[in-house]
Amino acid sequence: MAKETTSQHRDESTGGGTPVPTDSVDAALSAVETDGLSGYNYAYLDEHTKREVRRSMLKAVAIPGHQVPYASRPMPLARGWGTGGIQASLSLLGPADTLKVIDQGADESVNAANIRRLAENTAEVATTTDTTKADLIQSRHRIPEEVLTDDQRLVLQVPITDALRKVDPSDAANRRRHAHKNYGKMWVHLYENVVEYGEINIASRYPTMVANRYLMDPSPIPRWDVPKLDDANHLTILAAGREARIYAVPPHTSVEPLAFEDRSFTVERFPEQACHACGSTDTYLVEVSEEPGTTAGDDDTAASFETRYACNDSSFCAKRRENPNLPKDHHLDRSGVDWGPATPDGGENA
Amino acid sequence: MGYVAVTAGEEIIERAADLFEKQRLAGDSEGLDVDQLDDQLGRLTAQAMSEGGLYAPRLAALAVKQAQGDTVEAAFLLRAYRSTLERFDETPAVDPGEMIATRRVSPAFKDVPGGQILGATKDYTQRLLDFDLVDGETADPTEEWEVADEGDPERLTTVTELLRSEGLLHEPDEPDVDDPTDTTRESVTHPPDRDAVLQELARGETGAVTALGYSALRGYGQVHPTLAEVRVGRLPVRIEHPYTGDEVTVTHADVTESEAVVPVYEKREDPQFAFGYGLTFGRNERKAIGMTILDASIQLDSDDEPAENAEFVLDTIDGMDSFGFIEHLKLPHYVTFQSILDRIRAIRERKGTAGKGHDDLADEESAERAPVAEANDDG
Repeated sequence: MAKETTSQHRDESTGGGTPVPTDSVDAALSAVETDGLSGYNYAYLDEHTKREVRRSMLKAVAIPGHQVPYASRPMPLARGWGTGGIQASLSLLGPADTLKVIDQGADESVNAANIRRLAENTAEVATTTDTTKADLIQSRHRIPEEVLTDDQRLVLQVPITDALRKVDPSDAANRRRHAHKNYGKMWVHLYENVVEYGEINIASRYPTMVANRYLMDPSPIPRWDVPKLDDANHLTILAAGREARIYAVPPHTSVEPLAFEDRSFTVERFPEQACHACGSTDTYLVEVSEEPGTTAGDDDTAASFETRYACNDSSFCAKRRENPNLPKDHHLDRSGVDWGPATPDGGENA
Repeated sequence: MGYVAVTAGEEIIERAADLFEKQRLAGDSEGLDVDQLDDQLGRLTAQAMSEGGLYAPRLAALAVKQAQGDTVEAAFLLRAYRSTLERFDETPAVDPGEMIATRRVSPAFKDVPGGQILGATKDYTQRLLDFDLVDGETADPTEEWEVADEGDPERLTTVTELLRSEGLLHEPDEPDVDDPTDTTRESVTHPPDRDAVLQELARGETGAVTALGYSALRGYGQVHPTLAEVRVGRLPVRIEHPYTGDEVTVTHADVTESEAVVPVYEKREDPQFAFGYGLTFGRNERKAIGMTILDASIQLDSDDEPAENAEFVLDTIDGMDSFGFIEHLKLPHYVTFQSILDRIRAIRERKGTAGKGHDDLADEESAERAPVAEANDDG
């Protein structure tokens, strides 16, 4: 109802200022006196703002990989903590949606819990930790291990919007480079990497060409996740709050990491390691240093810490602990779907 | 298990917030009430309002209380609150010459129309701790003053008006558009218009504005301004009456204003001063003057010095941005760190240094002392 009223007034607007229904004065005043979030609009942001964010997203989808400026609003979360992602999510969510929020692979991370709580309290959405049950996934720096489908949207939180920032801090200069598709400086940077280190030493935020046109910072996802963006079934929205930019990778768009013929793109390696909990060898693992158990000898120094590997995607790891052979495309009609590196059945059957 | 709690994420967040709240309540003292903050710590609330971009003294006092005195956090609370409010109207631009000044000093001219008004300041006193304040309040020292009512204050001619009338001051170009840019509704792109620069500077973090302004004075810049004047006072806030269309004053806002002239001549054939402008909510002369220097510096539009580069200044000046991004480093970075570990290990393998600890390498180095450049040839 509120939505209709406001859009009506918007249409009558003649630029400069936003006409508002007069009853919103009372609404705003009562909001001041109301405790908690009950005085706020559905999904926290007002309808004009959500519409503006959606417009920016549409533009971003129309020009894959291009950074679209939008008026990032101050959110009740600190900038740099997912404010771009949550603005994108809240602009897309409706009451019938199910939301999953992950931070560095974990649903339980305190910041993910905080973002999820904001969406739950204001947008009345259902939440899940199960990747396959989510309509919208907001993630900081990971793409889930389970294959995303064309019914799903992925919102990645972005700290630094421009891959070229590595080689030039000036946005004005970099916007010119993007306009001219002039990525020479990045190529030189990669070449100098090879000269200095023998290989490219970029860990995450790997510079990636989208639809053979725009160089994109895919957000600090590990290199492991970059191939999942190529020709994906799902829509990926990348949203930065602090830097006020939105960009997107629409479904079935080519996404190609920059590399040389003789120095190809490589993902993170976990030689001869498996997750200590579920035994997976085809997932992104992180090292866990733990104090040795009582059986682990008598040496008390730091050197005696045990390093174990664990799945980073905690939700999929839980499923694998139940069913160790669960493929990453178990929820799809067809099998053998290729989804990033180390997708064994994808590789064999494709 | 650290801050990725296995199951109790929500509860842990709540408990951490409760502990934070307890810090405020832990002492034996009386709780601070919002009026006390508003009345007695005006500099603090002014800073929160100025950086928050919302003129609301009582809300600012509440924010300062809630943030336990952290001004950036308080400004952040105000901005987050402000962004949820509908905009009813825009005010017509007010002429700062209308200011009812309680303080006005002109370092440029000894005699200015309206005179120098020292007003309330401790600028010229010795900074000695006043131990009398420890045990309660001293009596109002102005109680005995005999103050005659001299009627309404006269309008003060601004010093830049004097310079302009003589043609000594560069007249800025008329803006291309009538409506001012609003950087809270339209993100800044470069090169920015001057109104966007001024808005961002006015909302800048006081420490950052001071530091960058100082950098220009310290030698990293060309701007060493002469302040035309610094004024503290109240400006009317007007709106157009919705029915009559007349402008009506609805309230006043306390502001600090600063104007400076800079002996940088815009045109060779007709030498004129460039100038800089600063305005903040509340009393904050340091920030207003810092803003003035930065405004003047940015107009030089040069990449040579940090303060003269609009992009550099605007990218670093905002307290919400810098606070958020610096503190986000506390968030988990397991994924990215694992990725970095992979790179450094791969490069160490390639160089043949993998698996060697600090001691092994030290031995080897003392034996060979291979120059760094040579070691790189392996690649």
